[in-house]
Amino acid sequence: MTLPKDKVDVVIVGSGSAGSHFAARLSKAGRRVVALEAGPDIRTEQMVSSMLWARRLKWKGAPVLETGPQPIGYVFNAGWGVGGASIHHYAVWPRMHENDFRVRSLYGRGLDWPIGYSDLQPYYDRVQKECGLSGDSKAEVWRPAGEPYPMGPVASANQGRVVRKGFESLGMKVAPLPMAIATKTYKGRPSCIWDGWCDAGCPTGALANALSVHWPEALAAGATLHPNHQVVRVLTESKGTRASGVEVVTPDGTRTLVMADVVVLAANTVQNARILLASASPEHPHGVGNASGTLGQFVTTHLAAPIFGLHPDKTNPWFGAFGGQFLNQEHYDEKENFSEQGAFGSYQWMIAQAMKPNGLLGMAPSRPDLRGSALKRFMERSTEHMITMTGVVEDLPLAQNRVTLNGKKDDWGVPLATVEHASSPESLALWQAAVDEGLKVFRATGADEVWNAPRAPMHIMGGTIMGTGPNNSVADAYGAVHEVPNLILGGAGLFPTSGGVNPTFTIQALVSMACDRMTGEAPPPSA
Amino acid sequence: MLYASGIGLLSFALGDGHVLLSPRAARAAGVKPRVLSAREEETLAALGERLVPGSRESGVSLYVDQQLAVSLEDCMLMIQYLGVDPPFTPFYRTGLSAINAWAESRHGEKFSELSDTQAESLIDDLSNEKLEGWEGPPQGLFYFVVRNDACDVQYGTQEGFARLNVPYAAHIVPPSEWG
Repeated sequence: MTLPKDKVDVVIVGSGSAGSHFAARLSKAGRRVVALEAGPDIRTEQMVSSMLWARRLKWKGAPVLETGPQPIGYVFNAGWGVGGASIHHYAVWPRMHENDFRVRSLYGRGLDWPIGYSDLQPYYDRVQKECGLSGDSKAEVWRPAGEPYPMGPVASANQGRVVRKGFESLGMKVAPLPMAIATKTYKGRPSCIWDGWCDAGCPTGALANALSVHWPEALAAGATLHPNHQVVRVLTESKGTRASGVEVVTPDGTRTLVMADVVVLAANTVQNARILLASASPEHPHGVGNASGTLGQFVTTHLAAPIFGLHPDKTNPWFGAFGGQFLNQEHYDEKENFSEQGAFGSYQWMIAQAMKPNGLLGMAPSRPDLRGSALKRFMERSTEHMITMTGVVEDLPLAQNRVTLNGKKDDWGVPLATVEHASSPESLALWQAAVDEGLKVFRATGADEVWNAPRAPMHIMGGTIMGTGPNNSVADAYGAVHEVPNLILGGAGLFPTSGGVNPTFTIQALVSMACDRMTGEAPPPSA
Repeated sequence: MLYASGIGLLSFALGDGHVLLSPRAARAAGVKPRVLSAREEETLAALGERLVPGSRESGVSLYVDQQLAVSLEDCMLMIQYLGVDPPFTPFYRTGLSAINAWAESRHGEKFSELSDTQAESLIDDLSNEKLEGWEGPPQGLFYFVVRNDACDVQYGTQEGFARLNVPYAAHIVPPSEWG
């Protein structure tokens, strides 16, 4: 399919969670939409059930240099090709809480969002119907206000039941994990069969992602999608106050322009910042949207706290969803709960995650110290008796954690990105508090052995944050770049704070809100 | 792409041409490495076997060698997650050379010919990053990468799952026995 030679209504850069949603909503609203994806086309038949083949779904584009003591794990966390990271995401979709949006106001540290939970709530409610979420809102006693889930929760299995007892013996609650996974036939998508291959992509469509939900809608409504088209910069009109289109390299290496009334930048957290920085011009000498100097700043990544154990009961840990079976957000609303330990922030537990024998999150790497016959014995026991859960720990936003351009360039002459990241002492202390709690819970299950893995980065946020004005942020609450209001940003790069929950549901809610504004549609009735 | 071939087995050089085989079958057929030298391949197989028993026969060295020969888009090696910039061949090559250099300086033998005691002692030091003057990639990372490669071929295949009595339950069956 060739690119349009004339001006279109909307050009979208990136085809993942945010880009596909923009494409669906805007094309259904009658806009002429063209989407450009740097990576290849991805089809469901490529989602081979294998932890080796799954690695083909991760980032394969221009290298990103990671510096600092806590790197962001870019390749593992980013996606490559149509659908982006949504293709290998685990579909854990909790909502952010009210205090996540007002961290600066409430606690005197971090940042505030320019919106509150009540602004986003109707969009969470709308998106969960559109995409199909399963869960039990009543059991989630920590959940902020919102409509019940449209589908019942995931069924618990052996591993979940074992770990649940550990929480309950300590007086803590668990609830079914809220997931964008069908537990019954939903809008033509089949129910999940809980085979634990989410990391390799979900070819059945049970898991809500760009390929199962938004691209079919967008293409049916007339949007066009162009894989293997690398956008190298955003163009602005002569005064620099309006975006006019993008420059793109086509698969044969030709440079061309796609002109549009609106440009949506939804590459990913790092690539959005990189493209804006690389789009510097006389009107925007430090990059588009960078009048405040905040472009690239406040990159955050959740600090994962993986806990493992071996339990006498048969747990069959290979069964279920990769995201888990249960949720605990016991201390979520008490960001100062562990202040005596120097900690700050929120975290949650994703409990009883399905595991495979190999893979970065698999059984074998959980004990890298074992080898030879000891590893063989461990593997034989783990496959029947392992238990696991992962803490998702908030990362306090720091200005020095940032995306910058370095001296190297990609094949098209675009400078490569460097991402520096060091978690704050408060976030590191919170991670330790979470690990201590997790080990205590696992001991309370009656497990024979419990241990934890080192800190690992999970999700990438910030870098193009939203805020109240161009003096403190790149974009407004709708993702519109302050200095160039017809340039719209999508994705977790907009998050001023990370919270301690998985970001995809919030990404979707923000896109939904932005689309309402762009199309002039009234907000949902519950707003 | 390999996948686009519709067959999915790995392409190995054999005789005057290329054949599609699993790493285990390639090893049995006497396939020669394309990227690694014969000595590097031998060292990788020996180290993999020490770390994950059975991985030599499962073809860890030919799997890694074949993966080093394909494009980054087709690459399945876990090393891509671990902050190492491609291409990955120098990582393996310098690591394998360094472990052999240590084996020879300590015991006068290449790594693949060390006794159990000698090899285990050397691996202990490697995993604990105690090999002073090591001239390869970070020792702990090299240990972790090779161990995971060996786990991939030994435990990450349909055969490996069966060995552990884990139901494979594929939506889309891998187009080759190893992965």
